[in-house]
Amino acid sequence: MIEIEALHKSYRKSRGLDGFSLHLESNELVGLVGPNGAGKTTLIKILATLLPADSGSVWVSGHDVSADPAAVRASLGYLPDVAGIYQDMRIGEFLEFFADAFHLKEPQRTAAIEKALERADLAERRQDFVEHLSLGWKQRLMLSKILLHEPKLLLLDEPATGLDPLARIQLREQLKRLHAEGVAILISSHILSDLEDICTRIVFIAEGKNVHEAQAPAPALGAPAATVRCEVEFEGSAEALDRVLTGFPGARVLERNDGFLLFKLPGTSRDASACLGKLLAAGITILHFDARGPGLEERYRRAFGEHTS
Amino acid sequence: MRRYVTNPMIIKELRQRLRERRSWLLPTLYLLVLSGIVVCVYYFTTDTDRHLNGVEVQGADIGQAIFIAVVLTQIIVLLLMGPVFSSGAITIEREQRTLAGLLTSLLTAPQIWWGKFVSALLYLLLLLASSIPLLALPFAFGGVEPLDLVKALGSTILTLASICAIGLWCSAIFRRSVHATASCYAIVLVLTIVTAVSFGMLYSHWQQSHPGAQGPPAHIQAPLFLNPFYPLLTLIDENEFRVYVYPVSSWLMFAAIGCLVAALAMRRLQRSGEQL
Repeated sequence: MIEIEALHKSYRKSRGLDGFSLHLESNELVGLVGPNGAGKTTLIKILATLLPADSGSVWVSGHDVSADPAAVRASLGYLPDVAGIYQDMRIGEFLEFFADAFHLKEPQRTAAIEKALERADLAERRQDFVEHLSLGWKQRLMLSKILLHEPKLLLLDEPATGLDPLARIQLREQLKRLHAEGVAILISSHILSDLEDICTRIVFIAEGKNVHEAQAPAPALGAPAATVRCEVEFEGSAEALDRVLTGFPGARVLERNDGFLLFKLPGTSRDASACLGKLLAAGITILHFDARGPGLEERYRRAFGEHTS
Repeated sequence: MRRYVTNPMIIKELRQRLRERRSWLLPTLYLLVLSGIVVCVYYFTTDTDRHLNGVEVQGADIGQAIFIAVVLTQIIVLLLMGPVFSSGAITIEREQRTLAGLLTSLLTAPQIWWGKFVSALLYLLLLLASSIPLLALPFAFGGVEPLDLVKALGSTILTLASICAIGLWCSAIFRRSVHATASCYAIVLVLTIVTAVSFGMLYSHWQQSHPGAQGPPAHIQAPLFLNPFYPLLTLIDENEFRVYVYPVSSWLMFAAIGCLVAALAMRRLQRSGEQL
């Protein structure tokens, strides 16, 4: 769906992208994560045909972005970070205009508009002026607008900015639904918990370059190392469980109740598996065991420890 | 070609423009000003004091005076309004952050430009059309022929189209509407005042070297070809104005300027993704 190789883009006083590469398959929902000024918006604008690249190759849906921008535009939907909207148009008129702007012909045009109204849950309000919608509803309308021509790829630049928690949840659900329908999505956001919830893959970017977690520098002295949180529900004595945990240096109990233990283990999910094996070997009956590796926040810290101030 | 006629931008722009309060306020004020001018000119030309001084007032004199006054007032008012409607057309999309949506649709830069241009010009043509009854009033007095009306309207439309194209060019260059509008007014000032002053200087210099010669030749009048009032001067049937006989040169100049700035604006619009 997206093929980017060694992409470079410079501005007069700064460098936007410096050899960035990305491959995105048609069944992926990829989160683009990086600090401010990392080049996320530049990358999305190049993909959306708004900016020309200095060098490197960019292909979207099998079309070269610089050689065939019209074909690229026909295959994608783009939602900018601050998406403007025509406040003095009615909701129906707004969608009709963009249906015409994407050259939709009848009867597809009417069907696409009705589907967009349904998708945004605004079918009852098509005669209302856009200015009377709240920010969350406007964002839903914008998302429906960029789906009018049934694109196979969505480029979303910080789509959740300014939304209240409920609108954010609805946006997440909508994106999950679209992904399930087969739409590939590249989404840039600073709201890591949202990305963690919906993305199939996270791509890190800093100073216009790819940042690979494996290549990230080892944590500095005093910096938090990787840990894994384990939740155990068990039957029997807690003392046997404590004994097993003493075999894992650095393990720390966070919460203890009857038949329940929450603890933190240094290491990765492999160490959590080893711990579970030892618990079972010790004859403890385990009812439930849940180990969660480093969250996106921790991965972000590890990837960008040196880039963030 | 069909895509330019059924351009969705034209419908969108006209819909938005006609929803504004000024869409009915401006034509009202415009017609009030023109009607006031007609009344003033009528009373001035039929002034009893002038009549008592022995000047015989003919119906044709009244008709000519009203026609010229309305035509000149009209072009002045429309030259003031043209930049308002055109120079904010693209910058407003930037300011409201809606330009990215247009540029990532299947509308091309020429289609976006054409939609903006036609809607700005159509609104000015609406004003022009509303004044036709006032322009036709002199027919009741005589001294004005239908061809004069056609020439005046045609010349005004061509000038306005060029001013709209200049306004859109300014709008494509600048990020803010206020800067685009100020620049467009500056260009209108250059076209009206600087060309007139240049002509005045050239003419006086020429008169000194050609004492007693009849009127300025074409090359001395050349700066005036860029003046929006020049083609209208050719309609005045007075001795001192009979030397201004090159309206076609002026029309060609305005058409050329319009085409040039249109091409520049479209080119700029195509690259305006970098300004978003």
